[in-house]
Amino acid sequence: MEENGKYLVFALCKGRLAFKTLELLEKIGIHCEEIKDKDSRKLVFVNEELKVKFFLAKGPDVPTYVEHGAADIGVVGSDIIMEENRRVYEVLDLGFGKCRMCVCGPESARELLQHRERIRVATKYPTIAKDYFFNVKNQTVDMIKLNGSVELGPIVGLSDVIVDIVETGGTLRENGLDVLEEICPLSARVIVNQVSMKMQNERIEQIINALRESIE
Amino acid sequence: MSISLLHTPDGVRDIYGRELLEKEQVGKNLMTVLRRYGYKNIQTPTFEFFDVFSKDIGTVPSKDLYKFFDKEGNTLVLKPDFTPAIARCAAKYFMEEEVPLRFCYEGNSFVNTSELQGKLKETTQMGIELINDSGPEADAEALSLVIEGLKACGLKDFQISVGNSSYFKGICEAANLDEETQLEIKAHISSKNYFGTREFLKNKGLDKDIVAQFEAISKLYISDTDMEEMMKKANNPKSVGAVERLLAIKALLAKRGYDKYISFDLGMLSKHNYYTGIIFKAYTYGVGDAIVKGGRYDGLLGKFGKEAPSVGCVFLIDELQTALKRQNISVDVDTEENILMVYAEEAYENALEQANDLRSQGKNVTMMKKNTEKDADYYTSYGEKNEMKEIIFVK
Repeated sequence: MEENGKYLVFALCKGRLAFKTLELLEKIGIHCEEIKDKDSRKLVFVNEELKVKFFLAKGPDVPTYVEHGAADIGVVGSDIIMEENRRVYEVLDLGFGKCRMCVCGPESARELLQHRERIRVATKYPTIAKDYFFNVKNQTVDMIKLNGSVELGPIVGLSDVIVDIVETGGTLRENGLDVLEEICPLSARVIVNQVSMKMQNERIEQIINALRESIE
Repeated sequence: MSISLLHTPDGVRDIYGRELLEKEQVGKNLMTVLRRYGYKNIQTPTFEFFDVFSKDIGTVPSKDLYKFFDKEGNTLVLKPDFTPAIARCAAKYFMEEEVPLRFCYEGNSFVNTSELQGKLKETTQMGIELINDSGPEADAEALSLVIEGLKACGLKDFQISVGNSSYFKGICEAANLDEETQLEIKAHISSKNYFGTREFLKNKGLDKDIVAQFEAISKLYISDTDMEEMMKKANNPKSVGAVERLLAIKALLAKRGYDKYISFDLGMLSKHNYYTGIIFKAYTYGVGDAIVKGGRYDGLLGKFGKEAPSVGCVFLIDELQTALKRQNISVDVDTEENILMVYAEEAYENALEQANDLRSQGKNVTMMKKNTEKDADYYTSYGEKNEMKEIIFVK
């Protein structure tokens, strides 16, 4: 196979996750100086010597880039993988960026989750929320998609509960909300394009094994 | 006339000109290979009764089918997958036939996939079904066809992943797992989610041996030594048989030097539940999905009343063409016979005579009346753009 001429392309989630990922990659010898330059306006960063490219994308877009093969490898939160439901290989749990997907609301809403009542659920993650309520709890609910500050939902009376990521629970408590049920734990994952996995197997497997060793 | 009439729905497209010529040529190149192996064309309807593609058959999920009703209220489905249709057809017309049947087909299939993913809903497929043959030789023939077909299209860099669904089934049966648990494990394994598999199995409290076997399948890459290791570990006859089968197929392919295109992946589990034996997918650079898919389906024809072990595969022509384009592999389209004849208005009869003469010699002649305001260069550049080999001016 002609693997030598080909770049291995990484898609990273903009923000904190990207820095942690780059730190980890540096530990296994994959580095990219260009990307650290905060003033740079470049979109794609290259390390010619190692034949790797990096680009930063908005979280929910990372699985899309990887599914279509625009990137070979991506690093993204498992919440996004579940929500986007793309055909990619999910090969490694990096163990950082840990948090939980939860149903939250005022204490008074706890009762509403007990009897399969039809309730209103506000969330940024309609797929995950729908799967949980429909298939795990067998509760029919009305889904309201919001794009941020989901905590507002129950406070201003838009919804009964919300489904959102909880890290420390600080924002929730400040606004009189509690975690009512936990849906699943979340963390950063490495995803790989299915074709790249076959065509550039050696290179990718080497990286994944090195990553696995460095986090274990 | 409204400009909005020009749109086509999401997931379908117009194909014309050079692109279509190349697409047809790719089809011809493949068909030549299929014919060399003695496959005979078969045509089944574009739509059929829903039951042919139902959950029980194990093809595309019901929610992804295009459904409509006939006048009697029967549910009809646009063909999402050729294999069940050909299985039905073969069972109907060849019920008593015991010799191996070789069918090939070409046509479009329709799957109502989700929006906004940049995927086609109507795709062109060409494939084969080898019915009434249970041997590893049949599996090897299907794989050889794939290799020769892809080579005939000009592709050099490709890999075929081969798995065997009965390995997984063997372990599940030995462990007495219910269907729901099987589906859950299948989902984890087919997304190569090693830690997910481990976590899930740990919570289920399964036997250590079983867990180790499942973990082994979710490994990313499997060498021949690993295969032998897995055969030793598997303590049920079905799984051992699955590994033996794969090794036998590889040995057959090795005789023709084709084993270099093959790699094993026991974690490859198809969404199509009708697969009972080997499953394979061919991959290449430039596209994010497989270009050929296939496998063995020994139980499928039985659903239509004819017990016949079978193996088949399908070339996904659209993906294949994209791959060729992205890898800068040119498809030779035959334009030798194309002639553009540009004539002056008063010379029409003379031109027509010449054109008919050329046509009877097997040339393809396009006649065009010369616009007096355009010069010869205008027609020359038109001819070059439109695959014309020669331009004749008749004055």
